[in-house]
Parts: sequence; structure tokens; C-alpha cells
Amino acid sequence: MLAQFATVQSGASPRPSRSGRLVSVPNGATLLEAIALRKSYGSRLVLDGISLAVNAGEVVGLLGPNGAGKTTTLSLLATLIEPDSGTVRIAGAIPSLRHHALRRRLGFVPQAIALYPSLSGFQNLELFARLHGISKRQARSECMRALEEVGLTERADDRVATLSGGMQRRLNLACGLVHRPDLLLLDEPTVGVDPQSREQILETVRRAAQGGAAVVYSTHYMEEVERICSRALLIDRGKVVAAGTVAELIALGGRQPLMELTFQGAPPPAWCDGLAGITQIAVPGANGNGKIALQLESFALVSPVLERARAAGAQVLEFNVHSPNLSDAFIALTGRALRDLIPDSY
Amino acid sequence: MLRTIRLTFLNEFRLLAQDRVGLFMLLLAPIVIIAVAGFSLGNIYGARMGAHTYTVPLIDDDHGAVARAILDALVHEPAVTVAQVANLDLARAIIRGRDRAPLAIVIPAGTTATLAAGRAAEVVLYVDPIKRLEISAIEFRIGDLCRRITAAAQDQARTRLAHGGADLRARLTRISANLDALQTGVADYQRQLTGARARAEKDLQAQIRRQMGATIDALRVQTQAAVEKSIEQARASIATEVSARRGAIAAVTDYLVALQASERDFDRWFAALKAAAGSHAGAIPPPPSFPAPPAQTALAELVKPIDFAIAPPHLPPVGDAASATPAWSIELPPPPSPPALPSPQLRADLEALAPAAMPVIPGTLGWAERTVTGASANVNSFDQYVPGFGITFLLIGMLMGISLGLIDERDWGTLARLRVSGASLAGTLLGKLLARFLVGMLQMIVLLAIGYWLFGVSLGGYPAMLLLPAAAISFAAAAFGLIIACVARTHDSVMPIGAVVAMAMSAIGGCWWPLDFEPSWMRAFAQFLPTTWTMLAFNNLMIRDLPAFSALWPSLATITLGVVFLVVGLFGASRLYD
Repeated sequence: MLAQFATVQSGASPRPSRSGRLVSVPNGATLLEAIALRKSYGSRLVLDGISLAVNAGEVVGLLGPNGAGKTTTLSLLATLIEPDSGTVRIAGAIPSLRHHALRRRLGFVPQAIALYPSLSGFQNLELFARLHGISKRQARSECMRALEEVGLTERADDRVATLSGGMQRRLNLACGLVHRPDLLLLDEPTVGVDPQSREQILETVRRAAQGGAAVVYSTHYMEEVERICSRALLIDRGKVVAAGTVAELIALGGRQPLMELTFQGAPPPAWCDGLAGITQIAVPGANGNGKIALQLESFALVSPVLERARAAGAQVLEFNVHSPNLSDAFIALTGRALRDLIPDSY
Repeated sequence: MLRTIRLTFLNEFRLLAQDRVGLFMLLLAPIVIIAVAGFSLGNIYGARMGAHTYTVPLIDDDHGAVARAILDALVHEPAVTVAQVANLDLARAIIRGRDRAPLAIVIPAGTTATLAAGRAAEVVLYVDPIKRLEISAIEFRIGDLCRRITAAAQDQARTRLAHGGADLRARLTRISANLDALQTGVADYQRQLTGARARAEKDLQAQIRRQMGATIDALRVQTQAAVEKSIEQARASIATEVSARRGAIAAVTDYLVALQASERDFDRWFAALKAAAGSHAGAIPPPPSFPAPPAQTALAELVKPIDFAIAPPHLPPVGDAASATPAWSIELPPPPSPPALPSPQLRADLEALAPAAMPVIPGTLGWAERTVTGASANVNSFDQYVPGFGITFLLIGMLMGISLGLIDERDWGTLARLRVSGASLAGTLLGKLLARFLVGMLQMIVLLAIGYWLFGVSLGGYPAMLLLPAAAISFAAAAFGLIIACVARTHDSVMPIGAVVAMAMSAIGGCWWPLDFEPSWMRAFAQFLPTTWTMLAFNNLMIRDLPAFSALWPSLATITLGVVFLVVGLFGASRLYD
């Protein structure tokens, strides 16, 4: 699988200029490479040979349960910590803690809301913009642009502490985008936010990628990966258990669509006999509820199933079709659930 | 790096401007604590406390000069407000009813008279035993006050004695002068008496002489007449006698003539005899010689008639008679001498009365404070507490600004974000430290200014020099905050650990009380604390009023310790936060 993933990366690596600043990066060029990253904290192995590559204009998801190693991976990519072994290359260069010029091309959105709560949104943005080397005059326009991107223009001068959690998350993202980074590292940027803010964040990330940034998006929400990531890595216990496009990963799970039907009373016996590609995996319970579950070989069987039920005289009160997803794939690959808790918004 | 330092520096001020708790801890909290400490303990130092003085009920049963002196002195005592009450019950009520009334003063009746009589007098203090510290402070002042009143009374007595002595001396001098004048007068009188006596003798002599002259003249006339009469009578008698004897004389004369003829006949006989004796003539003794008969003229005289033309005696006139009188003198008895003045003894007695020889009132043994530096000995408690608590809250401010700030930034993730943004940890730390150093400086300047305007602290002779220890401790405290950020590691443990260390450093370093209160081992340990040296510098400038250079070495010691703190802090931070 890793070998397969390695073959996915493509394009020429951009070269750093003599001054350490990156030259313009064409879409598709590999901007970030991580090879066989290992990291331990004491005797606890946190990362065990993580490799990935991210191209400009691409959003790559890091999907895994809590404690899988996503944050450590992003910290290594952001050069906040150094790996025990392995290599990180950004734009072909190996960044170090003191390679400030290279690091300024990074946009990092940590999982925590890394903002000064007593400062306004604008002041936070301005500080990080200035630290990234943007002049004071330009910083003002870039801050306003970033605020506009995350929909916080009207709250620009409000103290961060007075903003809602979702707004703080959006501002957290804006701080990572304010200097138009070439490489954007996002560590679970939507944790605990409202659906509106989540949409705004995802849209902002998508626009950043469309603008040419290489994005690494860490999350344990597989829906987000499915929505915005062109590729993803399933990580568990510090290892990449699978990598590829979303469809490839889902396919790796080997799961089929699941159809749940709720009948008025018990369904007629043998009502679906003769339909190929259907496997009944749950039967009505003894308490008389009429809910059954069918595994379909393809979505194309949904309509025939409903037709057969109506033909059999059964009254279908409700039906749900659950398509196989990354979570299913993760469970299939690791035997563990992807999320400990699924928020109501999903 | 410089950009990081600059932006972090400015960001710290932005953060601080929004941090109401931080600002409170930087400025308002120290002012509150300084005010509380200063006003609570200021009376012990003798500060001017305004309305926050001790209330001392005073019962004046004496109504004399001593009571007035005590009352007047207490009125001018800055730490005390006197409440004059009529009786002890009212005084007790005040002491029981007010927190800041530790004791009452009763000046018993007759205190002034007792002291004036030279006997010991006592002022009675009714104390509330639970307010022992305040009592000691007030008793100290009252003790000093009593000493001063006693000394003043003795000074007055001494002055009166000196004035009396001087007056006595003047009187003795006048008496002595009068004695001298009297003695001179007596001598003059004696001289006048002697002269008068001499003149009296002379006058008396002249008068006697005149009276004697007159008498003599009368006697002379009478004598003249008597003599002349006698002469006449004598002449007549003589003439009668002479006439009687003249015949006898003629017979004698005849005999003598015959005798003379016989002599010549004898000579011739004798010559014939000798011639007749021949060879034996030699054996014949010479004949006796015959006296020569008076000359014929002489004999003629005898027979001559006696001329009794005796001139009457001529008596000299009186004047002549007086002058002819043999010298004689009349000596009057000398005037009686005045009784001798006992001058030497009297003078010795007067000298013995001189004030110098008089017994003196023994002086009172007191004390007078003189600072070894020449500064005022009257210390304003705020001179100790403004810099002391200023340093304490500077350290606490550094805990909040640097230790908590750094840990919070780590926990928030902003520290990581700063680093991803290209800000080096060193630059970030230096920016923070620089900002907090400046904040610390401003904090100390503001506190000193407020101390000056509100509490009247002394800024010494070199106010600008106070910036040096303020800068030194700000630097050391900033580095100290960095160390605490490495030691505490978590937000919740910063204040427990940091505050304990900061307060211990403040207390041991002499910020809360003078260093000499501490045992020797603690003072030895204090030498390794920047607070100790900073307080030394502040005390030298503010309380001891020493020259500017007196703050130099203590400040350098503080900076040296700050450098050590900084090295340790940066090393720890590089391991923990990088």
C-alpha cells in the first residue's frame, strides 16, 4: 500500500531560491514530502514510518482516530518537532527549526485555537502576518482579506474571547492563511464548531487549495475528507494503514451499500426472493417492529428492492441507504472505529 | 530575529493593555498592599498617617505645665491623634470601641507641682493588652516624650538657676564694689580726720600763741615796770652800799700799795740773803712768789664811783616774745579709727557664694539619633514599602507576564504558531523579556512616583539614579519569570511555585522588613538574591540618602544574578519550549 501511495506522487519539486524563499510553485508540483517518519516519546512509539507527499493545489487528508498520530505528524511537518528518523522536505528543502524563511511559507492551523484571546481578530492576524514577513501596510489588506474569507469582517475588532467557538475556529484558520502560504497544515480545524462555521472552514480550505496551496488536512471526520480531500491517509497507531483517493480507500474497506427498510408491521415472507445481489443481514425482531437491513451489491438495486416490496403489498414507512465510507474502510482495515464520538452535526 | 523581537515586544504590550488582571497586579495591587502595609506599620516608623493615626484618649487631671507640654507634644506627634476626655470611663470606652486606640494617658493631678518640687512624677497609661505592638509603639513615643519634658523642665530649672546665679553674682559684685567704695570712703574719712586734726592742732597753736602773746605783752609791761622800779631801787641800794664800801676799798688800796713796797724790799733782802749764802745759795729754796697786785687802774676802778645808770631791761614785743618762745607743739589725740572692715573674709565668703560653686542639677541621659549617612533619622515607612512591595509585585508581575504568559502561549498553541511563523524561540523569548523588562521598569517608576506623590517617599538626592536598581531588578525579575516557566511547567503550578519563590525572595531579600531582622544564615543566603541587592540600592538612595554611586555596586550585583537567571532560564526554555 505504501508503495502504491508512493507511486501516486508526481510532478517536479520546486526549488528554493538562494534567499530561502520559495519560487512560485506550479499546481501539481510536489511541495511536501515526508519519508518514513518515526517519532517516539520515551518508550511510546507515536509514529512508525509515516510517509506522504503533497502536491501544490491538493488537499491530502490525514484520517485517524484520536491518538493515531495525526497531530504528531503535522507537528513534524510543521517542523515544530524533529523526527527520530525520516525526512521532511518542503519544496525540496529540508526545513529546520532555524530555517525561518522556509517556515514562513508554512501555514499552520493547530488543533487548539492558537489565538491571543485578549486581542482582536485583526490584531491576531496582523501579528502573524507581520511575523511571516509581510509589511505593515500589506498586512492590513491581507488581514482584511483573510477575515473576509472566513466571514469575520464585521467582527474584526472584537476580542477573540468574545467570539463564538465557531468564529474562533474560523479565525484560527484565517491566521494560518493570512500570509498566503504555499503549504497549509490543518490539524482538526473543525473540532467542536457549528455546521455553518464548518462549511465556511471547508470552503476556505478548498479555495486555498484551488489557489495553489498544498494542504494537509488532519481530521477524524471522514465526511470532511470525503468532501474536500483528493487523497487521504488512514492512520492508526502511528502507521499509515491505507492511502489513496477517497474512492480507493472506501473500496479497500470492501463494504457494500446497506439498505435499511421500516415496514408497517412485519413484511410479507419471501417478499424479496429472486432479487440478485441482495443479502438480508437483519430480520424483524420479535417485538414486532418491521425494520430489516439488506446488503446491496450496488446502489442500482435500491429501486428494484422498493418495487419488490410494493409489489408484495408491504407498506414501507421509511428506508435508508448507507453507502460504504472511509469509516467502514477504517473499521474493515483496523477493526477499530474511526471516531469515538460522532457529533450531532453529522 | 530582530523582527521577531520587535513584534513580540509590541505584542506583549498589546496583551498587557487588554489584561485587566495583569494591570491590576502590576499597579493597583501593589499600591493597595503598599498602602495597607505602610498605614498599618507606619506608626511604628513614625510616618505621617493623616486620618490613620492611633487615637489616644487623654485625661488631664493636672491642668499644669506638664500636662500642657504632653498635650502639645502629642498633638504634634504624626502617629497619634489625641482625644481629650473627662474621665477614665470615657477613655475605656474609646479603647474598647476603636481598633486604633491601644491605650489612654492619665496625667494625675499635681504632676506639674510634683515635678516642680523636684520629686518624681508619673503619667499613668491604661493599656489594652491585646494591642501590645501598638502599645509598644506609643509607649516608645511617650517615653521619649516624658524624657523630653523632663529634660525641658530640667533645662528650664537649669536656666533659672543660671539666671539666679548670674543675678546673685551681679549682686555680689555690687556688694563687693560697695565694700570697696566703703573702704575707700573710710580711708578718705580717716585722711580727712587726720588733716582736720593737724589743722586743729595748728589753729589751736596759733590761738594759744596769740593769747600767750597778749598775756606776755601784759606781763612784759608789768615786768618792765617792775624791773625798772627794781632797778631804781637796786641802784639806790647799790649806791648806798658802794658808798659804804668805798672807804674800805681805799684802805685796801693803800695796803696794797704798801704791800707792793714791801715786796720790793723783800726782793732786795732775798737777793742779799742769797749773796750772803755764798755757795749755799743754791740750797736756799726760792721764796714764795707774791701774787701780783692788781693793777692801779684796776684798783682805781674800785674806787671809782659806781655808775648805776642801768638801762632798764628792754622786753621784746609780744611777737618777738612769741617767736622767742621755745618750739612747742600741741598734739591732739588721734581721731578714733573706724572699726576695720572684714574685707578679705567677706570677699572670700562672697566668692564662696559664686554660682560656679553651687550644686548643679544633674542632666538627663537621653539619646539623639544621628544617621551615619547624615540623612534624616525619621524614616517614612513608605520608603521601605514602596520599593519593597514594588519589587514583590514586580516579581509576581513577571510570573504572570512571563511564566504564565509563556505557558499559556504554549497551551494555547500560539507559541507553536509563532514558531511556525518563522519566529525563533530565542527571538520570541527575548521580545517577551524585553517587553516585560520595560513594563517592570515602568511599574517601578509609576510606583515610586505614586509613592512620592501619595505617600511622600524620599527619592534621595539623585532621583534619576533610582532607575538603575529599577532596571536591574526588572531585568533579574524577567529572567526569574523565565526560570519559573521552566520549573512550574503548567499553568496551575506557576502561581503556587512562583508566588512562594517570589515572596520568599522578597521577604528574605529585605523587601518586607529590614534585613537585620533575619538570622545570620538567612542573611547569608540573601546575598544570592537580587532582591537583597536591589533593596540595598534603593535604601542607599532613598533612606540613607547616599551619593549616586552607592547604588552602582548593588545594581551590578543584581544584574549579575539576573544574567545567571537568564542563562539558566534560556537553557531550560530551550529544552522545554523549543
